[in-house]
Amino acid sequence: MTLIIGGAYQGKLAFARETFSLAEEDVFTCSGTEIDFSKPCINALEEFTLACIRQGTDPIACLREHRAQWERTIFICQDLFCGVVPIDTELRTWRHTTGLVCQYLSREAERVSRIFCGLEQRLK
Amino acid sequence: MIIFISGGAKNGKSSLAQELAVKLARGGKRYYVATMIPVDQEDRDRIRRHVADRDGLGFETVECGRNLPACLDRVDRSASFLLDSTTALLMNELFDPERDYALDPAAPERCREDLLRFVRGVANVVVVSDYIYSDAQHYDEITETYRRGLADMDRSLAAVSDIVIEVSAGRVIVHKGVLPQ
Repeated sequence: MTLIIGGAYQGKLAFARETFSLAEEDVFTCSGTEIDFSKPCINALEEFTLACIRQGTDPIACLREHRAQWERTIFICQDLFCGVVPIDTELRTWRHTTGLVCQYLSREAERVSRIFCGLEQRLK
Repeated sequence: MIIFISGGAKNGKSSLAQELAVKLARGGKRYYVATMIPVDQEDRDRIRRHVADRDGLGFETVECGRNLPACLDRVDRSASFLLDSTTALLMNELFDPERDYALDPAAPERCREDLLRFVRGVANVVVVSDYIYSDAQHYDEITETYRRGLADMDRSLAAVSDIVIEVSAGRVIVHKGVLPQ
């Protein structure tokens, strides 16, 4: 499994598509609590964590439950946990939980890359 | 030689950029491209601090808050340039003072092209940007237009740069190339 993190608009998906020769249909873009684990690449994981928070479910427990299905997956997540702690409870929980999700996936990953201005920084 | 520097606020980007621009000049001509168009006392104080920082480094200041390639006609292109920052350039172009600071949707792409034309048009340049992409916020469309536009400029510049540096707490992370000795 590969984890790609980085800020907004840094070229994370473009990097994944080029590095792993992914077609558009290979990419699942998260927008709710459901993830299509049959796709090679799961993008915008931060939207999945936000949906989980809104629904009151634990995103890490959900990922753990499907562990066997993402052995070779490429996860892409925005590192939105670097900025100011938001006053809004939902945003604060989102920031915190997304950080924990990335720590969990980073431990499980064979490769972790951070994308900075379109360039890869290998973290693992 | 094109050097691109980004990172968080107040982390030492400008000081490093000055140092590198002086180094690239090898004792020759060096210009500081001043991008900020001051609108209040806070801006003027900030400019005064930056001018004091550069004192004694031998920079000639070229004022260019808008239409960056136009300043190429007023300078010696074989010199070393310090452009600080892309953040101010985009801000100046995105909100048009002639139209009551209305958002100009064509500005980000124009700024990106202007920046590429500028860095390709001079012998040596150090460009400073700001890293504003890693926080848990849902911004309004104007702010997102600005963030997306600046990121496009950053990425295009990083792609053509010889050296790409991230500065964090005064420490240097080299993402591309090798720092000049």
